[in-house]
Amino acid sequence: MSAVLDLSNVRKTYGALNALDGLDLTLPDNAYVALLGPSGSGKTTLLRVIAGFETPDAGSLTFKGNRIEGVAPHRRDIGFVFQNFALFPHLSVAKNIAFGLEHRDIDPVTDPKILHTRVKDMVALVGLDGLEERAVTQISGGQRQRVALARTLITEPSLVLLDEPLGALDANLRGRMRLELRAIRERCGVTFLHVTGSESEALAMGDLVLVLDQGKIAQAADADTVYNQPKSPAVARFLNCYNLFDGTLSGNGFVNPLATFPLGGAIPRQSGQPGYAIRYDRIAVRPLDEAVANDEVRLEATFVADEYSGAAINSFFALDDGRVFEVESHLSQTVPAALQPQSRYALVWKRDDALVYA
Amino acid sequence: MNSSGTKFALGVYTSLFLVFLYAPMVVLGILSFQTGPEGGPQFPIIEWSTYWYQHLFGFTPPSRIAPLPINEALFRSLVLSVMTMIVSTVLGVSSAQAFRRKFRGSGVAFYLIVLGMMVPGVLVGLGMALVANVLGIDRHWWGTAFVLHVVYTYPFAFLVMLAILNRFDPSVEEAAWSLGVSPIRTFRKITFPLIFPGVLSAMLFAFTLSYDEFSRTLFASGRDLTLPLAIYGTFSVEVHPNVFAFGVLTTIFSFALLGVYAALMTLSIRRAKRIAIQEEA
Repeated sequence: MSAVLDLSNVRKTYGALNALDGLDLTLPDNAYVALLGPSGSGKTTLLRVIAGFETPDAGSLTFKGNRIEGVAPHRRDIGFVFQNFALFPHLSVAKNIAFGLEHRDIDPVTDPKILHTRVKDMVALVGLDGLEERAVTQISGGQRQRVALARTLITEPSLVLLDEPLGALDANLRGRMRLELRAIRERCGVTFLHVTGSESEALAMGDLVLVLDQGKIAQAADADTVYNQPKSPAVARFLNCYNLFDGTLSGNGFVNPLATFPLGGAIPRQSGQPGYAIRYDRIAVRPLDEAVANDEVRLEATFVADEYSGAAINSFFALDDGRVFEVESHLSQTVPAALQPQSRYALVWKRDDALVYA
Repeated sequence: MNSSGTKFALGVYTSLFLVFLYAPMVVLGILSFQTGPEGGPQFPIIEWSTYWYQHLFGFTPPSRIAPLPINEALFRSLVLSVMTMIVSTVLGVSSAQAFRRKFRGSGVAFYLIVLGMMVPGVLVGLGMALVANVLGIDRHWWGTAFVLHVVYTYPFAFLVMLAILNRFDPSVEEAAWSLGVSPIRTFRKITFPLIFPGVLSAMLFAFTLSYDEFSRTLFASGRDLTLPLAIYGTFSVEVHPNVFAFGVLTTIFSFALLGVYAALMTLSIRRAKRIAIQEEA
């Protein structure tokens, strides 16, 4: 796979804030790339810099082999789908979709017949048949999302940036649009860069998942690698499925204020920030007096509450320093014993299941 | 004080306010139907008639009361207001557009623009007359007075457009750019249609302010009078109800303008609704 976009050492500051702090990034051609970042990580700034709405303070942007730092947004051939859709409120659905094709600077389509055919094809592609003459204020959120997408795709950009495109939709629709977006992208054969703050969305949608942390790409890998082998404690935190501990490595243990966790055989990962992470679903809850095996780690905590979600139960414990510790039990594997609120339990996991960062 | 008492007091206050606001207009309207030519601008009404309206258009037999010398003044005022409206609105829209981004000296520029509506009109008018004298420029309603009208109405148009653009969602423009559409075309096809209601308001402001501008015009317009000056001129001799009749007609004209404005304003909303209705039918 060749690269469609390459960013090198891109910087952008707002006053004292480093929105982008020497960011490097390579996007492959014809792929669905998900960019995961918590709010404030600079993900919207990154998209706006790529689209040309913001000028980076330093660094280079190479798009299809050409440097584009100084190129105006309308000459970049990069599409942008806004979180609020930003449809043209005074135009009908069909006119919204036709707008770019009809009015663009380079190679506009002026023949009404060709325009009509192209719009019709695009309307069919995104599933908006029969709504062409509606005002965009008279259609539902999901339909607006499709108009926004169709309007961009009809101009056939080589790269489409999507800024939290599902954020404004309700949960039900969001699930459906995930599949649709992937299917539409495959039919068009362009690269989508989909920015999201939701880890499940990023993992579900990205052929490649990028994790943005403090203005830098903290990890770029496929979903499975990101989920199972986060590169740093920060990445693990964004995934929202790891209990994290700060501390230091000492001999064969990870020392933190609550306890010293004995380590397994794995070599600690170098990440620049020491940390210890154990996944929610790799933890067993046992009575205090039950024995611990040699390859296990044990930590005591007070049970607070649990949350039933159908396929699993998430139990919340308070550690002795007041922090929350979460355990996820999949009901298809075990049916956990009922836990007594405000009682103490032993939380046990295998040494080798933990991720240790140095 | 209980709340119904407060309500009552405020109601009375508001009613009184409205009475004082509109009483002069009502009196003017009533007196315009005084009989003529012997009836004057005072109560009681001797006999109801439309004499003064006919007098205005020269349909009455000649009498000792001369017709209002306003034909040419009306024409001048209308032309001047339309010119002012166009120039002020164009200036207001473009400078408000410029103020969407902070630029060096934007604070100073803002106050310089707004100053035009804050300085007393008499002073500016007098100042313009002096400058014109010093520079040897002839004073005309279409020259010196026109410049002052623009200086005066431009800040209003500018402030209206500033408020409109403040609420404007710039992502719509960015969306158009990202589709490959140039900023100029984006402004024409997207921004302008969306801010058009605001542009109409700015035009209305500029027109009405210019149409009845007095103090600036008094000194700057030279020998050809605009409508407010011509009407004022007739007061210095003797006031007849024909001025009131003219006032009523002007008011009706203003309401007609407002009606056009309202119609244009609702048109875009209607259109959106009609599309939806057709779809459902």
